[in-house]
Amino acid sequence: MRPNFFHHLHPPTIPAQQARFHYTLAAGGLALFLMLILLATGILEMFYYVPTPDQAGSSIQALTFLVPYGGLVRNLHFWSAQFLVLFCLVHLLRVILTGAYAPPRRFNYLLGMGLLVLAVLLDFTGYVLRWDEGIRWALVTGTNLVKSIPVLGNDLYLVLIGSPQPGPATLLRFYDWHIFGLSLVVLILGGWHLFRVRRDGGIAVPPPAMRQDQTRITRFELVRREALAMLLASTGLLLLSVFAPAPLAPPITAQSALSETARAPWFFLWVQQLLKLGSPFLWGVVVPLALLLLMTLIPYIFPRPSSSELGRWFPRSGRPSQLLALAIILTILALTIVALLPTS
Amino acid sequence: MSSRTLSRRDFLKLARTSVLAACGLLGLGGLIRFLEAQTEPALPTDFDLGPVSDFAPGSRTLRPEIPALVLRTDAGLSVLSLVCTHLGCTVESKPEGYICPCHGSRFDPEGRVRRGPATQPLRSLRFVIPQDGHLHVFTN
Amino acid sequence: MRRYFLFFGSVLLLLSLLIAAWQESRRPRPVALIPTLTGQVEYCLTCHSDLAQISSSHSVKTFGCVVCHGGEPLALDANLAHSTMRGGANPSDDSVVQASCGGDNCHGGSPETYSDHIQRATTSIQATYAGAIASMLYTFGAQPDLTARFAVSVVQDPQSSSGITGLSAFGQVQASNPAIKLFGQNCLNCHISAQPLPGTEYARFTGCAACHTPLTPVGLLPGEGQGVTPQVHKLTTAIPFTQCDTCHNRGNYDLRSMTFQSRQDLPTDRLHAYYQPIAQFTTCEYKLECNDCHTRTEAMGGGSLYGSKKDIQYIRCKTCHGTPTELPLTKTLTDPNDIAFRLAQLNPVIDLKIGDTILMTDKGDPLWNIRPLSDGSYELFDKASGQRYTFKPVKGSGCTQDPSRQDSASCHQCHSVQR
Repeated sequence: MRPNFFHHLHPPTIPAQQARFHYTLAAGGLALFLMLILLATGILEMFYYVPTPDQAGSSIQALTFLVPYGGLVRNLHFWSAQFLVLFCLVHLLRVILTGAYAPPRRFNYLLGMGLLVLAVLLDFTGYVLRWDEGIRWALVTGTNLVKSIPVLGNDLYLVLIGSPQPGPATLLRFYDWHIFGLSLVVLILGGWHLFRVRRDGGIAVPPPAMRQDQTRITRFELVRREALAMLLASTGLLLLSVFAPAPLAPPITAQSALSETARAPWFFLWVQQLLKLGSPFLWGVVVPLALLLLMTLIPYIFPRPSSSELGRWFPRSGRPSQLLALAIILTILALTIVALLPTS
Repeated sequence: MSSRTLSRRDFLKLARTSVLAACGLLGLGGLIRFLEAQTEPALPTDFDLGPVSDFAPGSRTLRPEIPALVLRTDAGLSVLSLVCTHLGCTVESKPEGYICPCHGSRFDPEGRVRRGPATQPLRSLRFVIPQDGHLHVFTN
Repeated sequence: MRRYFLFFGSVLLLLSLLIAAWQESRRPRPVALIPTLTGQVEYCLTCHSDLAQISSSHSVKTFGCVVCHGGEPLALDANLAHSTMRGGANPSDDSVVQASCGGDNCHGGSPETYSDHIQRATTSIQATYAGAIASMLYTFGAQPDLTARFAVSVVQDPQSSSGITGLSAFGQVQASNPAIKLFGQNCLNCHISAQPLPGTEYARFTGCAACHTPLTPVGLLPGEGQGVTPQVHKLTTAIPFTQCDTCHNRGNYDLRSMTFQSRQDLPTDRLHAYYQPIAQFTTCEYKLECNDCHTRTEAMGGGSLYGSKKDIQYIRCKTCHGTPTELPLTKTLTDPNDIAFRLAQLNPVIDLKIGDTILMTDKGDPLWNIRPLSDGSYELFDKASGQRYTFKPVKGSGCTQDPSRQDSASCHQCHSVQR
């Protein structure tokens, strides 16, 4: 058959090893797919959401309860967002644990780290847009963390929050960041990331001479596999969105203060746990940024994994970086679990 | 394979395409219902203009909130809509009739079209005066 | 193999879309209500359309639900919709009554417009319990006189005309005296803001609803009322005596052991339902409702803090019946804004018109359900059942009581009923 537009987005053939599910877990591809779902559902939500403090909560309630399929659109957006952050992390781990960050892929690794940070920021700004009791304390502490940065803190706070304390200006700015500012950067970095994948020779596998599996698959087969992945992902996402609604609490009003426990969003629970230790700047800014920096420097500080070992999990030559990455991830996981335990 | 029978591959392709088309139609239907939802209440269609005694015989009272003109003559009461029948601008009341500022339609004092582009006369609005003695005007 | 997969994948997607459509069709159709008072749309009726309107003066078309109850007007999920409701199911509870029932245009206004209900109710001794606390503290030597100093919770009344501008919370008294301690533990259930004791004979709400949402249907006595579900979404001024009895007639205190002995009988006739099995009372006292005699001011307070029943309760037999030398006081209604017309409209047991004459207390409270008749007798309409009674004044009868000694004990000497 004649290749269509989607076929032409892919190379004519690729090594079969690059498309094995048990190698890549389809994590990167699913992350991209989820971003498209987020774009579409986000645009639909924009028809009903009003970004002012007194109307945000009620416009979300109107969307969820009064608009046909409004609740479904919102739930799709919510679950896609949480799984996006999750799949970015899975993809990051996969790249590290298969040694796929080695040159020439180091710059693309940096682009990916940027995309991870952007995904988390998009998740956080979207969370704040709810403007309900559930987000209130996360908004206060998160924005006050900015203030804790020495020298730059107060100016940075005004730039991000838009007023001396969180209010209508903050909501409008977070809305702007969420639908446009951050999304535009994601589009640029994402496009670049995909371009670099092509230019760096596709998904990391050993060079032809060292390759054990010489089979290749056509672009047609590749598109078919991607289509199947999208169909299955959509089905799962739809079923989850039908039966598991996104959380919604009463809107923030001047006098309300209903929370018995103030919980950070799941992806920041580890930071909330760290902050119980003391200084906001140290535990809330320095330590998380240090961990992020450490993760980012992995391709630069460790000896490169050997090319013959590419394309498989836990190559021996990449052991030090694997241990560091797992140590960081397990620490964050442990902190998250501790934060979830009921307080005695 | 003869050209009269369908190969398994083509049948599956056809089946797959039809299922996906059905998905597309379902999605489109849902999307249309989603986009059609009205979250704001409709504009009011009946107006309580107060006691009828407020409108003295011989008076012409402009009520811009409707918008309409309440005319009380010795013969009775009439309510003339000031919405231009061309494209909906509010016409201006002049001694010689009504003029629409948007595209120049002119109406005589009874609301009949003197000059286009409007083709329909200004509407006479339905009204009732129930027990409370107030003038209630309806725009629907 | 791959071809099958794509086909099955698309079938799965179709199924999930159908499930989504099916789930959407199962959602209840939103029922909108735009109350004329607020102009804000609310969707409570989607689930609660079969709820009876709470009263004719709080019509749902005017008030809606949210202005009194709070809650999330747009939410159709029960948990979210009810999460910001004031006072749970009872928005008249003391903690939220100002937000629910208050405001100048409602029940938080001024005495001149007769809309100071919240001020009166929250300063009355049915809410503060100041009298019982003061007399108990005085009896056991914790204070030197009967001046009220404590209430069940802190209450301030800076504009008080009684001299009492504030009461402290009783819990602050250091109870080294065992009697006082037991009093605090056992005896503070009968005030408007307290939760009642368990048992249907004590069943009442808190706040305004304690009296105005009777949980005992009119006409049913404790022995008959078991198993009957009262209408709880109701506000009324036609309050049957059985509702007062949930606090006022449940038993006796033993002051030595400082415990409450509840009465165990379940009377099925009105005679035995009224009062303790030791009290003296007359025919009208057991045939009528409590509020046929006890005025609004007596039941709800006058607006200022006061420290004893004696400061507020003043109804006597002579208020309606007069004395051997005087007829009862009357008032002719000439002002269409007279409070008597409003009260009669709220509880239409009597049709009052301009020019009608009604009885009046010596403090000017209208007894709007009692009218003199042309033959010299009087008619009274029971405020709960509407039943009409007639009675004659004392003047011109065979009564030989000294006109200057008109306390109830004197009248009871001859007129009390044998049980």
